[in-house]
Amino acid sequence: MRYLKTSEAAALLNVSPNTLRAWERRFGFPKPQRSPGKHRLFTHGEVAALRDALQEGLSISSAVSRAREGLAADTSSLIGALVSYERERADAAIEAALALRSVDRSVEEVLLPTLDEIARRYTLESAPWAFAAHWAADWLRRATRLAPPPVRPVSIVVGDASRDELDPDAPHIRAFELFCVRAGIKVLSLSARGVAGIGDAVALHRPNLIVVAGGYLPDDAVARWAYATRLAAGAMPIAVYRRTGQRTRVRSTGTSVLPPGAGEARQRLLELIDASQLARTLTDSPAAAGEADSDRPGMRSASF
Amino acid sequence: MDGGRRRDRQSALTLVAEQRPDEGRALAFCGHCGRRPQRGFRAHARVCESCGLGLILRCSAQDAPPVDGAFLVLDARLRVCAVSRRAEQLLAVSETDVVDRHLSALLVPAEAQAASGESLAVAIVQAAGGDRVTRTAVVRPANTFGVRINARIASCGPRPAALIVLEL
Repeated sequence: MRYLKTSEAAALLNVSPNTLRAWERRFGFPKPQRSPGKHRLFTHGEVAALRDALQEGLSISSAVSRAREGLAADTSSLIGALVSYERERADAAIEAALALRSVDRSVEEVLLPTLDEIARRYTLESAPWAFAAHWAADWLRRATRLAPPPVRPVSIVVGDASRDELDPDAPHIRAFELFCVRAGIKVLSLSARGVAGIGDAVALHRPNLIVVAGGYLPDDAVARWAYATRLAAGAMPIAVYRRTGQRTRVRSTGTSVLPPGAGEARQRLLELIDASQLARTLTDSPAAAGEADSDRPGMRSASF
Repeated sequence: MDGGRRRDRQSALTLVAEQRPDEGRALAFCGHCGRRPQRGFRAHARVCESCGLGLILRCSAQDAPPVDGAFLVLDARLRVCAVSRRAEQLLAVSETDVVDRHLSALLVPAEAQAASGESLAVAIVQAAGGDRVTRTAVVRPANTFGVRINARIASCGPRPAALIVLEL
């Protein structure tokens, strides 16, 4: 995937950087990502699609509309492949999407909307959904395996409370895990059903934060898993992701709710981890040094 | 020999019908704000350097909309391609919402002209096809009664399209 800085994208479109920012505000297109330094990064595919549309367009709105239509074709072709049970064609469709977007945006703008659309059209009990959900889970796992190794000194444990891969939340959870891994976070994903031995897993992984994801398992099962995890790791922040009615059912004061979108959830997670690390810095200050030591000093006072 | 050629050329020129200074001259304007590109405007750049929100279009000088005027651009299928800033205010719409929609979502022939609804469409289709004849019509906003607006319909480009200038 090739990215362009604002000045490069503006040069390709033959406009000023200010004009490009004005288009982003008015049309929401091209939609940049942000670099670690918060600078705009445009995907070359989007800028090139817009440039081509502008050549023959009569207005910027119509050019943006045409460029968007061209990009939306990826979703249509993926839906077509999945409802035809053609794995190779589905792989090719997502590869075509990747030619124009980053992995994250391909997942958020093509793969997940495709699954939502198939679930809406054919229901969750249908064969097309079964095929599509299985293909998506497989693709997301492959993408996670191909992600670069963790670079941040941050790890999380994800307690998967979804039913199975046919659960409509499952692809979103896999996408969230993929995004976290791509952000350099070390992720250990476990079913929230498995309580026995969780202490060893947590001791080995040493997470900074626990995420309970999915809404299928009942509260008491999830609470048992979370209790066992915190018993092993000590008090640490817990976040819930795609758990229906989570605000009313979760009583823990240390629980944060992540937004339903995988990208936004990853962003919020990083903010929570930054906040917990800030809290660790404060508690590790000389004034707090006399306090009792613990295995993970950063986590002992982290609460949200 | 040279003198004879010059005389021939002069006599040929006198055969050409007298034109108004602007007539037949192509004029560039922004499809959003209506401003004319300034001198030194890069010929290959298509985006207005004043507002940055419109593409530079061309039409004959006598058909060009006034600066910051109310106008629309439509294709031969009567789909909205561009709405000027003033037209957005006049019709209470946003270009981004109405682009690619049918003209009838924005403008319809005024009541007195109802019978000429077809001719309005024909005029737009002909203009969008590159016909250089300028036509007029009386229209009203699609959701408003009792308002009559004179509209001038002409051809514009570079891709042939119909320019509807609302004369307020």
